Amino acid sequence: MALLDQTADGAMGAAPPTAEQLADERSGERASWWQTAPLVIVLLLFFGLPMLVVLAVSFFDFSRTEIIPAFIFDNYVDLFRSQVTLRLYLSSLKFAAIVWLVTLVLGFNIAYFLVFHVRSLLWQIGLFLVCTVPFLTSNIIRMISWIPFLGRNGIFNQALEGAGITSQPLEFLLFSDFAVIVAYVHLFTLFMVVPIFNSMARIDKSLLEAARDAGAGRFRTVAEIVLPLSKTGIALGSIFVITLVMGDSFVVRTMSGGQSASVVSALQNEVAALQYPPAAASAVIMVIIVTLMVAGILRLVDVRKELAR
Amino acid sequence: MARKSSEAVSKLNRRRLLKGAAAGGAVVATEAITGFPTVWAQNIKDITLVVAGGSYAVIKEIGEQASKDLGFKLTMQAITDDVQLNRSLTQPQTIDINNIDSTKMPYLVGKGVLAPIPVAKYKQWADTVPLFTKNAYPDGRQASNQGLSPFKSMFYEGADGKKLATKATDFLTFIPTIYNADTLGIRPDLVGGRDKVTTWKDLLDPKFKGKTALVDYAPVGVIDVAMALESRGDFKYGDKGNMTKDEIDKTIKIMIDLKKGGHFRSFWSTFDQSVNLMASGEVVIQSMWSPAVTAVRSRGIDCYYVPLKEGYRGWFVGVAPMAHLSGLKLDCAYEYMNWYNSGWQGGFIAKQGYYSAVPSTARKFLPPEEWDYWYDGKPAAVDIKDPYGTLMEKKGTSRDGGAIWDRMGNIACWNTVMDEDRYLTRRWNEFVSS
Amino acid sequence: MHGSDEGRPWTFYAFAAFFGLFVLFLYGPMIVIYILSFQGPNGGMTFPLNGVSLHWFNALISQTRVGDIAGSFVRSIGLAALVAIVTVVLSVLAGLGFRRRFRGSAFAFYLAIASLIMPGLFVGLGIALAFRLLGLQTGWYTTGLGAQLTWTLPFGLLIMFAVLGRFNRSYEEAATDLGATNWQRFREVTLPMLLPGIIGVALFGFTLSYDELARTALTAGAQNTLPLEIWAMTTNVTSPTLYAVGAVTTIVSFIVIIAALTSIGAIQRRRARGKQAEQSHG
Repeated sequence: MALLDQTADGAMGAAPPTAEQLADERSGERASWWQTAPLVIVLLLFFGLPMLVVLAVSFFDFSRTEIIPAFIFDNYVDLFRSQVTLRLYLSSLKFAAIVWLVTLVLGFNIAYFLVFHVRSLLWQIGLFLVCTVPFLTSNIIRMISWIPFLGRNGIFNQALEGAGITSQPLEFLLFSDFAVIVAYVHLFTLFMVVPIFNSMARIDKSLLEAARDAGAGRFRTVAEIVLPLSKTGIALGSIFVITLVMGDSFVVRTMSGGQSASVVSALQNEVAALQYPPAAASAVIMVIIVTLMVAGILRLVDVRKELAR
Repeated sequence: MARKSSEAVSKLNRRRLLKGAAAGGAVVATEAITGFPTVWAQNIKDITLVVAGGSYAVIKEIGEQASKDLGFKLTMQAITDDVQLNRSLTQPQTIDINNIDSTKMPYLVGKGVLAPIPVAKYKQWADTVPLFTKNAYPDGRQASNQGLSPFKSMFYEGADGKKLATKATDFLTFIPTIYNADTLGIRPDLVGGRDKVTTWKDLLDPKFKGKTALVDYAPVGVIDVAMALESRGDFKYGDKGNMTKDEIDKTIKIMIDLKKGGHFRSFWSTFDQSVNLMASGEVVIQSMWSPAVTAVRSRGIDCYYVPLKEGYRGWFVGVAPMAHLSGLKLDCAYEYMNWYNSGWQGGFIAKQGYYSAVPSTARKFLPPEEWDYWYDGKPAAVDIKDPYGTLMEKKGTSRDGGAIWDRMGNIACWNTVMDEDRYLTRRWNEFVSS
Repeated sequence: MHGSDEGRPWTFYAFAAFFGLFVLFLYGPMIVIYILSFQGPNGGMTFPLNGVSLHWFNALISQTRVGDIAGSFVRSIGLAALVAIVTVVLSVLAGLGFRRRFRGSAFAFYLAIASLIMPGLFVGLGIALAFRLLGLQTGWYTTGLGAQLTWTLPFGLLIMFAVLGRFNRSYEEAATDLGATNWQRFREVTLPMLLPGIIGVALFGFTLSYDELARTALTAGAQNTLPLEIWAMTTNVTSPTLYAVGAVTTIVSFIVIIAALTSIGAIQRRRARGKQAEQSHG
């Protein structure tokens, strides 16, 4: 695997840093600070501050129509004791796992096609843009259109019956878990494609030629060179897809016809009934759990290591 | 000011003539909007009021007409229920006039966001239907008190607006504007005829397995099921609109069993979902709203809004100024509220099938054939069109359920917020995830 | 992997077919939208087609019961463009910053991740509550923009990670050796190499903002974005005008794409000619 150990900079020496190097580092650090500052400030103001408020509210008490400032753990205790919580998480995790797998397979192959088989940059960009056009039509409109597409009298069923493949409309196509997964894959595959595409595009083509000259077959080349070098892209794409699915309430509600729930759709019911404290507690727990999942992914693939050497 | 009125009148007449001609109906009686505008100030045209609420009532055309008639600007912002509730509480200054649903009242009362309206400021109180002023039908019977009836949500105990009263007082929570009676909708062509569904228990009939739908909103969905269960004889509720924990448990248990047995095809959360479910034949019986039935019918698909034996589920909405308004803005807000029930809006909204709280003024803005159809339940003497010219009902059809008091006079339960709302939400989440 | 004079291997066709199926899958619902946008005046949002007409396209521009689609569309495009620009600038900067190890980098990183994970509903609610406590009002260009940035910035940042990973610094070092200033190096070397990634970030920022619903609902103030307007309408109205919106958006996007691609193609050809001219002189 000597191929993979190549770095552009070459090996670093092991000598202790000189004063000059330290000064360089510090000015480098300062440069990094002002470069990341705008982003951090915006996030602190519009995310950090609200999150502190949500955290505070999660400890409040509440009655039917009042939210009472307090500091109680009841909301969290109720959450952990409730059967519904477990079911909701299992449901959401199930969707997340299936969608992750499907989008990974799809995304990897599409990115591979675009990077290695499409020759001109123009075509790459063009094909990519063609994929993004549907996203410029509002999500809501596209969700509505699934009914005439997959419904009992929708064109998909009609096409199947017309071609003689089925004699009855397939009911499970819509308002089911299947429909939810199809919608997720439809919406989120591109989120997998983009990071993987970016990672793959950086692979030095000469590596692949060297492998071919060394006698490696297509499959081996992919497995041992392309795949490991796309790790970052795959990790990032996975982070996108998993957080998107775990955080969704709209798709699961619409496509399952209100018959499947996710963690966030249950949250939404509570917020609509003005029950902020238990909803806030649920949100805090959900963020913690998904952050742990993301941290897990990052442990497998240290995205920042490749970046900062 | 007189000149302004007559200008407005002639504009109104021209508009009505054109609309009348387009609809092929008789020309509307040219009644002047006497009395508006009544607020006269130098800078009134600099005032802009933001009206926010559900898209069934917050319509661009109403805002434009009001702006024209009243001299100040009204911007309409259509928002969904949950956004309305949350925004009213967390960012009340972004709304000036709240077009609000009675069931939101218990959440907003006492929070300092809504302003109590002294009855004296509301000019059409005397002409408002007794349903709101006396909680009674015109024939004198008391209206249902199950759920959040008008008496339980329309009045404050005192001028401070801290607590809801349970009978009429001098301080209103909102001006009642629109109301209707809801029931189940069916596809007569797919169930075998209009007479096949006559009571609420038919919703749970096994022969409709996999072809039913409910609204995906706990407080309303559970009432529909309760109506069906009571009709079927499973048990009797104390107050279907305010169930006890025990009653909720019993109802949810049956709902979970039904869901697992595949009785429900879907739950709808938006109007258009309900229309599409019915129009596409995915469901044949479901809880629906009146305009949804009309929308399905206007596509040439037969749909019937069934006047069920046990009665309807009633609802009403109104208009309330926000507490942060004062001075000229507040005067303008009252002006708008009085304008709202002075007729133009009533005539406009009648064509969605909604009743006006002051029918006598709405009548002045409806061609007599349309009044007969929408309010009196008589067969349509002409084709009935919506405000945009789309055909809604053909000549000769009558409104499902009949005249206004055939329908509004048979309310079994009002839309509501229950005392056990917290418990209900939790159990509803359980139901959905089962 | 393949010389340009080789024919294409069979895997190309397999992949191409696969890609084609994927595009078909993506456009499946869109096809329904295109067909149904030609729905007759009395038709609905599902099949059957009740006659064919341009009625609903007409309804988009004229005054009918579909709310303020035109107005909210224009507003949404404006906001999305703004969000895209801000996202690109902030993400690129931050991405470059992350190229060094610095104290606080883990905090910044996980702040972005948490922002990605938190449900939009709560970001919106939190902002509205927080601003209320501070006595401030929500508004389009303040909280509306800010709330959407909490969504797009993490995406932008992570994409920059993908772009900058294994970024070949030897070009930048060569530029420095040749005497370029920091700014020159950035503009002439770094930026062009990052361009595809930047376009990706801009595209993400734009579409994420354009489609955003949950966090915008409570933070946009007294005006609706397009998704908010459509969502509010569908709760009480149903109309194939929405499909007409979809059809028109697609047509406009294709026009923009074709324009962009032809101009990129023209630039590429000019560069190639320039290079040839250089080579023949040198």
